[in-house]
Amino acid sequence: MSETPSPASPGERVWNFFASVKLSFALLLILAATSVAGTLLPQKEPAQLYLEQFGPTWGGLILGLGLDDMYHALWFLLIMSLLAANLVICSLNRLPGALKIIRKDPAVDLDKKRSPAHGFTLAGTPAASAETARRALAKALGKVWEKPFQAGGGQGLVLLSQKGAWSRLGVYVVHFSVLVIFAGAMVGNLFGFSGMVTINQGQTVDHIMQERGQEKLLGFELRLDKFTISRYPNGMISEFRSDVTFLQNGREAQKNSLVVNDPAVFEGIDFYQSSYGQRPGLVTVRVSRDGQTFDAKLEPGRWNPLPGGGQAGVVEVHQNVNMGQMYSGPLARLAYQPEGGEPLAITAFKAGNRMPQRGPVKIELVDLEIVPYSGLQVKYDPGVWLIWVGCSLMVIGFFIAFYLSHQKVWVRLEPAKGGRTRVEISGAANKNRLKLEKIMERLAGAMRGGE
Amino acid sequence: MEAISNTMLVAVTFAYLGVSVLYLCNMVFKRGFFGRAATIFTWLTLAAHTTAIILRWVASYEQGIGHAPFSNLFESLVFFGWTIAVIYLFIEGKTRLKQIGAFAIPLAFFAMLYALKLDPGIKPLMPALKSNWLIAHVITCFLGYAGFAVSAALSFMYLLTKQEQTAGSRRALTLDQLIYETVVVGFILLTAGIVTGSIWANSAWGTYWQWDPKETWSLITWLVYAALLHSRYMRGWQGRRLAWFSLIGFGCVLFTYFGVNLLLSGLHSYATGKT
Repeated sequence: MSETPSPASPGERVWNFFASVKLSFALLLILAATSVAGTLLPQKEPAQLYLEQFGPTWGGLILGLGLDDMYHALWFLLIMSLLAANLVICSLNRLPGALKIIRKDPAVDLDKKRSPAHGFTLAGTPAASAETARRALAKALGKVWEKPFQAGGGQGLVLLSQKGAWSRLGVYVVHFSVLVIFAGAMVGNLFGFSGMVTINQGQTVDHIMQERGQEKLLGFELRLDKFTISRYPNGMISEFRSDVTFLQNGREAQKNSLVVNDPAVFEGIDFYQSSYGQRPGLVTVRVSRDGQTFDAKLEPGRWNPLPGGGQAGVVEVHQNVNMGQMYSGPLARLAYQPEGGEPLAITAFKAGNRMPQRGPVKIELVDLEIVPYSGLQVKYDPGVWLIWVGCSLMVIGFFIAFYLSHQKVWVRLEPAKGGRTRVEISGAANKNRLKLEKIMERLAGAMRGGE
Repeated sequence: MEAISNTMLVAVTFAYLGVSVLYLCNMVFKRGFFGRAATIFTWLTLAAHTTAIILRWVASYEQGIGHAPFSNLFESLVFFGWTIAVIYLFIEGKTRLKQIGAFAIPLAFFAMLYALKLDPGIKPLMPALKSNWLIAHVITCFLGYAGFAVSAALSFMYLLTKQEQTAGSRRALTLDQLIYETVVVGFILLTAGIVTGSIWANSAWGTYWQWDPKETWSLITWLVYAALLHSRYMRGWQGRRLAWFSLIGFGCVLFTYFGVNLLLSGLHSYATGKT
């Protein structure tokens, strides 16, 4: 807070600007105010949605300012970086002063003249009261420093004790913890990844989908053995569970039961139960070409090689379509690619239908399988431990910064008339003066108790 | 047992109204009798309130769907009222300033009154809420909210009684200090609430922070109060300004608690009154 009087060099002025509590105050409020926008506007939606919903002008502005993903927008990260810079410079500015006070030999302060909070006289010489004072001070605060002095033709004694000087570091612990949390978030963003994977019951997957539709190979395989939903008597879902097996080089390496709030870890990657549903599984088709007919099982989501050459894939399936008198029943849109030829779109109807189908190949549906699937959230975040360290430091730092204080108490024993002793108790604290007053009161009580 | 608990909660709600009137009488008529009666009845109401919450907890186990009574808006409001009474009695015990009660206890009454408008039925827990972090998260958050609520009550009292006209008086300074100290209590607990929420989110959804509206608003509230704590070190931000600041902070708390669930969509949807 100590403002350097002008004239200051430009460098000093920049330094003082970054060290000021006013900047912290402003940045905290700016972060709070700007953060509101992202809670009102939908985030991370396709650009088209903003243009349709807000019109070309406002929608364009939203996209231009990055408000469609504002918490990752450059300007938002810049405000956060400014806050981090403010924290670092402000701490560098004040920490040396705090360390100096903490390291200072308390004995230096024995001579300080202070106005007493309590003053009274006791029978006997200062030397006689010294032991009581020493014990009371030691009990209240700890180690006692003392120094004799000459006054009123006799010898007096001043005693000093202090407690909690190190608590001045509390605020720096808090500020440091914020930086640790920032560091943890950065490590996670730079070296971690996250994505989703949906697996049909019985299916094995080797990759996940990341946020922008990118595929990522896991380096191992994951099989969903069984998916179970259990319900409460009233029909509400009580639990959904995926029994999975992790496969390393095709061999079973680990089995887990995934439920919400109970993830599994394999090779440092976390898997979380996230969603579930039902969708088509294997599609069995009857292929007729070149005078031959055979059955094949097609797995959705990939090309399936056909016996005798060529390949086929499932584009979409409907369990039941109704085309009036012409047709009613299941339907699948397929892609078919003859060996060395261009892919063709083919609509397949159930076997024995009377729908016209032209072309070099005829494909009919034999069976449509509907299987449950499980949606898993997948994450690798090497920065998470830093987050928890930062959070713990922050809470510990708060207790030190807000509830502990540097308390100092002096007891001055001066010879008075009639062989009596004048006792003066004074104190200093960087905060929590109430506690200081209580300590001094108790001390005065203890000294008088001997009378 | 559920029925007994619900009946008790209705009685407790109106007991808070009665106690508020007693505290108001204490402030207006300045008779020790009202103050003493108010304190005694607040303790009795709190005891009944505690019993009702425990009965509800036990009742859920009897129904075979046992869980801590922190799972929806009704239960959180009942708990919010409880935390306000607890924090208030703590402050009253420390400061002996009974005038605060006339401003703080009505907040407990309003929280409970809102709860009475909702469906009090005990429902089983949905999968996402089945976690040991539920209790730690809810207790820290709501004690924090209550700290801020009492601070707002103090601020309202500061402004209503125009303390700034005698800003140097012992009473004005005490109130100013209390506004700050209750914010500190709220701030530490809110921090703990956000941290426990993060740990929980990390095990339920695989990420400790995803800028969900509820998360973001809790951060906004945290930032506003962090600014308030720093304003202590700037000249001219004591007294009236501090009181207004604390009221704005409490506005953020209320939006985080109610506004987000009622107006914005997000992951925290189970905390709405709808089922």
